[in-house]
Amino acid sequence: MAVNIVKDSYKSKVVEITVGTEANAIKIGGDSTLPFLHFEGEMPNKQVLCLEVFDMVPEGWPENLTAAYEGVMSDPVAWAKKCVEYGADMVALRLMSAHPDNSDTSPEDAAKTAKAVADAISVPMIVVGCGVEEKDAKVLEAVAEALAGKTCILGNATNENFKSITGACMVYGHSVVSQSPLDINLAKQMNILMTEMGLPNERIVMDPLSGAVGYGIEYAYSIMERARLGALMGDKMLGNPVIAYVGQETWKAKESKASVEEFPEWGEQAKRSILWEVVTACTLAQAGAAIFVLRHPESLKQLRVHFAKMMESNAY
Amino acid sequence: MQKFNISFLPDKKKVFITEEVNLLQAAAEAGILVKGSCGGDGTCGRCKVIIKEGNYTTKQTGKLTKEQLAGGYVLACQTTAESDLVVEVPEASRLSEHQVLLEEETVGEAVSQTSVDPLFKKIKVELPEPSLTDSMDDIERLKMAVRKETGIENLRVSLNTVSNIPGILRKEKWKVTVSLADVLGYTEIAAVESGWDYQKYYGLAIDIGTTTIVVNLVDLESGQTIAQKGSYNQQAVYGDDIISRIVHATEEKNGMEDLRNAVLKSLNELISQLASENHIDINVINYAVCAGNTTMVHLFLGIDPKYIRLEPYTPAINIPEPIRAEEVGLQICKTAWVYCIPGIASYVGGDITSGAQVIGIDKTEKVTLFIDVGTNGEMVLGNQDWLMACACSAGPAFEGGGIKCGMRAMRGAIERLDVISDTLDVEYSTVGGAKPVGVCGSGLIDCIAGMHKAGIIDRTGQFSSNLTNQRIRNGDDGPEYVIVSKENSGNGQDIALSEVDIKNLIRSKGAVFAGIRTMLRKMDLPIEIIEEIIIAGGFGRHISIKDAISIGLLPDAEFEKYKYIGNSSVKGAKMVLLSKTARDEAVQLATKMTYLELSIGNDFMDEYVSALFIPHTDMTLFPSLSE
Ligand code: FES
Repeated sequence: MAVNIVKDSYKSKVVEITVGTEANAIKIGGDSTLPFLHFEGEMPNKQVLCLEVFDMVPEGWPENLTAAYEGVMSDPVAWAKKCVEYGADMVALRLMSAHPDNSDTSPEDAAKTAKAVADAISVPMIVVGCGVEEKDAKVLEAVAEALAGKTCILGNATNENFKSITGACMVYGHSVVSQSPLDINLAKQMNILMTEMGLPNERIVMDPLSGAVGYGIEYAYSIMERARLGALMGDKMLGNPVIAYVGQETWKAKESKASVEEFPEWGEQAKRSILWEVVTACTLAQAGAAIFVLRHPESLKQLRVHFAKMMESNAY
Repeated sequence: MQKFNISFLPDKKKVFITEEVNLLQAAAEAGILVKGSCGGDGTCGRCKVIIKEGNYTTKQTGKLTKEQLAGGYVLACQTTAESDLVVEVPEASRLSEHQVLLEEETVGEAVSQTSVDPLFKKIKVELPEPSLTDSMDDIERLKMAVRKETGIENLRVSLNTVSNIPGILRKEKWKVTVSLADVLGYTEIAAVESGWDYQKYYGLAIDIGTTTIVVNLVDLESGQTIAQKGSYNQQAVYGDDIISRIVHATEEKNGMEDLRNAVLKSLNELISQLASENHIDINVINYAVCAGNTTMVHLFLGIDPKYIRLEPYTPAINIPEPIRAEEVGLQICKTAWVYCIPGIASYVGGDITSGAQVIGIDKTEKVTLFIDVGTNGEMVLGNQDWLMACACSAGPAFEGGGIKCGMRAMRGAIERLDVISDTLDVEYSTVGGAKPVGVCGSGLIDCIAGMHKAGIIDRTGQFSSNLTNQRIRNGDDGPEYVIVSKENSGNGQDIALSEVDIKNLIRSKGAVFAGIRTMLRKMDLPIEIIEEIIIAGGFGRHISIKDAISIGLLPDAEFEKYKYIGNSSVKGAKMVLLSKTARDEAVQLATKMTYLELSIGNDFMDEYVSALFIPHTDMTLFPSLSE
């Protein structure tokens, strides 16, 4: 008996965002189907795999992670170059030193670092603040100006500080990460407020905040899924590509850090930690995430293979 | 234990209290009603009094300004005496007595189109004289005559009535007037009088609201309301909302008695005023029907309310039986019955059943939404085929609670308001045309709508940072918008709405809209399905539907679909008082309604968050606003 392939037809698609300049520009999003259902619609762009760079030496990273960046961790420019060598599509610079509890770097100095990194690499950049909303507003304003013309993604804009960040990105031509705490409605509200300020919808990346596998990923999963379904059904305010800070979440997990001596039943830490990052990313890709900010180059390598396979057409 | 004399100014009332009684309780004992919105927690800052003389201890809670502290102000609920005291209670800290809007139109209005068949009535009967061939006993003879006259089968007589019956029957040659009281399931011969001349008799229709109480005095023969009166529910000194009152009732020593006495006092005062002003004796008031939310009914009848607020939220009783007035403590004819209209669940009570019945929601084909835009935010959705009810706990914001310049719709309240977009000036009108002293619910709605339209606030209620205007400034609670400056207000104070107030109002409006959406979701129906929207409650008579829609409080439906019904709770109580059929229908209605528990599942929370936006996160729900 012949089986009829059931195909849904959607009236809308995920917004397509362009970052970077000219030859180095990449496109993100644009999907007109659920993730990897190539028989129903299009997934015109690849998943974007980024590696993270800190503007200060990060603390508490396990050895198998620091080993990958041996010798470059105190120099963000060199570190970023290393990331490009490892094959990152984009470099995600985290301006952690701007945190008042760290060295409280001034917005101007933070912007200088960002500029130096951007000038040294050929791939587009994501620049993320230190997480203190007030400080980030100032830091990202300065960064936006310093990186004028480079068409980056800056974030994270929250309910508290989105006005200044959005304003600066509008002027200097960057896209913005709009971050909201695991709630589809709040995500939508942020997007409405930002577009009402005049920021084009094609310049917003959503971060609904995700946890790692085992640490609340199911919430993020269902929220990303709802956003994707909303986008396909024509909800313009949910139709933005989703960014997932995978590395940041997974390398916090005990499973990524604890040694085999501590938990013999868990097996080798070096293997386990990579798997934690890879599985989290794969899971979120199934939910519809488009940009993955990773930490370990080995994870990036494995995901590259996996996604290439997933992007092969499965049309009937 | 030491005892002290406290005298209150300017009332010159004195009480003698022990050292552990705080001044809020002392004032209540002296019969002075001090605002105690938080129930004495020290968090609302409304119970300010001034100590004129004497020593005291007080806890600072940061609710008083430097000037106030210097002026001898303390929070009554945080202060106890260490010597005799002289305490002044300023006007602003008092519960004012005249804050209840009565609806004049119900006075004199004959309620029912059908004939009046009240729960208490008097009938004239003539008994066949006994003889040697008819030696039936007096009571059976009486019952037979009543049965013949009325067709009522199930009659009962109390010993009290039986005791003098032989003389009464024979005095006017077997002509008697019989009082019949309906007691759910049987009819009581409540009294028998000789002859056919009888006094008029009355009943009461009562609405026991969390905030206000309204009593209608009804002539049970004609069905006319002779007079009505309303006042504050004196329980307010133990908290603004039902939760803080339940807490007081269950956790304080004598708490239950405090609350029961407070509501009885409020009621008995109104009843005695109604009686004396209309020159009737309280003993000719023979039946009372009360409508109140579940907590109010529990507290009124002295029933433990503890588990109403604890999961899984079970009241002691939803369908109370009639109880003797004497037992309840209501000062009317001792043998009168008091009947409370049945409720549905912990947070949807008899007041809602009552209102739903008045609008006839169970008799119409039209899908009808019935909302009480009050603190508890009860709503009913449905028609003759199905009925659903929920309570969205909107909070007291639209009744003026928790909003700095908020007040009820009384004299001096700004009830309509326009924000002029370019100058950010305000045009307004007040209740009674008086100088403004605050803003009531309808004014608050206008205000948010206007502020959003003028760009003062964004869709989340946040003040725009790039507007400079002398009306926008930084206050104690962050940015605020001055509606009326102190030079032009009626109380010498600025009337301003802060960001905190606005967020509060947005939460309230969000809860109401989310309640509506959650009920629709359960039935898998779109919002357009609603054919009629009936708004009840003391929400101000002049709420602008247009503005309410523009902030997302009410569904975006054509204005013709909207109706305002006022205090439907007391109207329903009157209906039941005057009709046995209506009483039976009320019981059925209450049993038929499905209660939707909003705390289960994610639906309500999800809807709530999406409604915390002006007008809503999903703009397609408000098509008329996108033009
Ligand atoms: S502060 Fe005293 S009652 Fe609220």
